[in-house]
Amino acid sequence: MRLLLCALVLSAAAIGQIDEAAILEGAGDDWLTYSGDYASLRHSSLDQINRENVGSLVTKWVYHVPGARRLETTPLVYDGVMYLTNTNELHALDAGTGRRIWTYVAEAPRRAQNRGAALWGDAVFFLAADCHLVKLDRLTGALIWTREFASYEEGYYTSLAPLIVKGQVLVGTAGGGTGQRGFVAALSTDTGEELWRFWTVPAEGEPGSETWGGFPSKWGGAPTWTTGSYDPELNLIYWPTGNPWPDFYGGRRRGDNLYSNSVLALDADTGEMKWYFQFTPHDTHDWDANEQLVLVDREYNGEMRKLMLHADRNGFYYLLDRETGEYLQATRFVERLDWATGIDESGRPIEVPGLEPTPAGVKVCPSVRGATNWMSPSINPEIGLLYVVTLEMCDIYTGSAKEPVPSSGFRGGGSQQIPSEPGQFYLRALDSLSGEIRWEYKMTGPATMWAGTVSTAGGLVFTGDDDGALVALDARTGEALWHFSMGNTLYASPMTFTADGKQYVTIATANDVFTFGLFSD
Amino acid sequence: MFGSESGYNAHAVRLGILTALTGVVCFAADYTPAAVEAGKAQFLDACAACHGTNGEGGFGPSLVDGREVRRADDEQLFKSIQQGVSGADMPPFSFPDEQIWNLVGFVRSLSAPAVESNVDGDAAAGEALFFGAGGCVGCHRIRGRGGLLGPDLSVIGSSRRIDQILEALLDPNARITAGFAAATLDGNVRAVVKNHTNFSAQVLDSSGRLHLLRGDELERLRFEGESWMPRDVATRLEDHLVRDLVAFLSRQAAR
Ligand code: HEC
Ligand code: HEC
Repeated sequence: MRLLLCALVLSAAAIGQIDEAAILEGAGDDWLTYSGDYASLRHSSLDQINRENVGSLVTKWVYHVPGARRLETTPLVYDGVMYLTNTNELHALDAGTGRRIWTYVAEAPRRAQNRGAALWGDAVFFLAADCHLVKLDRLTGALIWTREFASYEEGYYTSLAPLIVKGQVLVGTAGGGTGQRGFVAALSTDTGEELWRFWTVPAEGEPGSETWGGFPSKWGGAPTWTTGSYDPELNLIYWPTGNPWPDFYGGRRRGDNLYSNSVLALDADTGEMKWYFQFTPHDTHDWDANEQLVLVDREYNGEMRKLMLHADRNGFYYLLDRETGEYLQATRFVERLDWATGIDESGRPIEVPGLEPTPAGVKVCPSVRGATNWMSPSINPEIGLLYVVTLEMCDIYTGSAKEPVPSSGFRGGGSQQIPSEPGQFYLRALDSLSGEIRWEYKMTGPATMWAGTVSTAGGLVFTGDDDGALVALDARTGEALWHFSMGNTLYASPMTFTADGKQYVTIATANDVFTFGLFSD
Repeated sequence: MFGSESGYNAHAVRLGILTALTGVVCFAADYTPAAVEAGKAQFLDACAACHGTNGEGGFGPSLVDGREVRRADDEQLFKSIQQGVSGADMPPFSFPDEQIWNLVGFVRSLSAPAVESNVDGDAAAGEALFFGAGGCVGCHRIRGRGGLLGPDLSVIGSSRRIDQILEALLDPNARITAGFAAATLDGNVRAVVKNHTNFSAQVLDSSGRLHLLRGDELERLRFEGESWMPRDVATRLEDHLVRDLVAFLSRQAAR
């Protein structure tokens, strides 16, 4: 009896230890953070499902999310429980059976897509669309507190999965399309109290403000609507930023518009900026740089370097030194790219003149959706390939030279598709150092999806495709080994985990969550 | 015994008295009681066949805890009733505008959150009771503080009507909140069954351990039939104390 009691106490103590060390272990049995780990590799050490047996993958369960229209969630899994989000909702499921354990619904006055939750201690956190951070008890879904960090009445909203670093919940905002000035904020996991905030558009008089031609910083945009990465050794948080406002008309904001379309390296304790790198200066094509930032240590030109890999919406694949922000190289990863002839030695695009949007419209490649976007890439560190969902497409961009009116829906123009030149999705495997395309998988479909990838130690990469299927490819060759059509558009990235000792792969469609495992009787 | 005719009637009477005492306002603020009453009569004639006489649903959805209804503004509800819901089985109704407004008032009252009503109880005394002598906190949580066997009550004021809260206190078996069926695990551990099928069960025990049971393991589970919510609140607590509890609970809202 005493023994039993001790065992109980022990296991109770073991519960709730989701901390930095656990997240740093990387994606394996559990998937504890949006991109699987702090480095955003989206690579799992699981190999139960592998090239030899993936052909016998079958659907194990489907969870329907009532009322969902566009699930963008990457589920998290800890200790056999899956956490997934819909707009203003968090669902906790038995990960082995897909049965619901609890649901929490935030009564929020605004709706928006939501990309996932964050785990820490014995709590689970997510963001309601109206910029409230919600902290729940991980086991019961009981509310602990909510904390507002931006005002939806001022036009802010939020859609990202928060990142938890050193007991701080890092949050960002969307709403850049109507001018709202972006920021990254750190809120205490204990109290929700705001510990620091970094504005992505410098205030008047601050360094960088001279790059706006006198445009008010309050309306600069540069939102922070995707999840960043974290390097504990360098004690740096990396966060990507979106485009300046108005999106398609730059006449009132002459200059580079710092720190839009950039990556920011922020001190993990203070939020102080250590360096930044801007991918697209003075953007007028809505090419947010919010794509994932992948952190790897690799030999580069004979020297071990701490690298950051980033395939940008603007069509170039970048290598940076993540310690200093030094630009190392960039290569194009799409053919349909005509706005720049290359990137110069300082990392600045060599732009082709005359491609700013005009009232009459001008054709520019890539399209407004970008050569890639927030759909997650993944890397297999053993093979050295980075898997990037890529869209070959151009658009007609229109710009209008009106006086920008904030919060009016004004975006300075827009873009339209060219019916005779439909978009084409590929999954491309880039040599992570040279940027060379090693193989590509051409998808079928209407060019409407937003699904990403997950890589596994089983020698596989799983990708959502443009026709509503999950496809497993040989990570080295790109050969399609297995697929399953879910009959619905995909807006989410897959992930993998273990429950009951078995490996599963999960992806959300627009309104259902599908989970696959090896056939067994 | 509880559940017998007389027991139930006693509680029903008690509920009636308390309802009168607390001045339960299940009416939306902008509608006169007469309008809501008129709407109710019409609802019984024209809507109850699909939405149930108490609005809790049948062929059509429940309008009681429907988030859709709470999110919709009055004009939207008016339009839904007048024009129906296209593509769904909600027919249009060509009643005079006034009658439709009465219906809107009644539909609103079905999901009027407790936090919007005035309860003439002492919320501070209710709070002390909840976290103290009432013993509620042993099973219920509010903002992270409390036990596990009962539902989190952090937002009960914005998710339930006053009479629903009252009913939960005075007649707990009248309806058992989903995910809170009482069960015993391995013959002696108190637990609640969050979900179950014939093949698996998701069970939370009173010490905060989650048991994900499979197949034969389901035999470890014995359903209790009733819930763990004590059945003696009505007899144990005087009316004014119940009122204080309701006053306190009705103020628990998310924002
Ligand atoms: C033939 C069955 C039927 C009848 C009769 C009916 N309803 Fe409905 N009602 C439905 C269904 C089904 C829905 C769900 C529609 C959907 O899927 O969105 C619904 C939805 C609603 C909604 C929610 C609409 C929204 O905005 O989402 C309201 C409010 C409503 N009904 C009120 C009424 C009222 C008041 C009456 C009587 C005047 C009535 N209904 C009669 C079937 C019915
Ligand atoms: C032994 C555990 C236990 C205790 C003690 C307890 N409850 Fe409960 N309570 C439950 C459970 C389990 C439920 C859900 C099942 C049900 O609906 O009956 C519940 C339901 C409720 C509900 C309805 C919640 C909903 O979702 O609508 C309210 C309100 C409530 N309790 C209030 C109280 C108050 C006030 C006290 C103290 C006087 C109290 N409870 C004491 C276990 C408990």
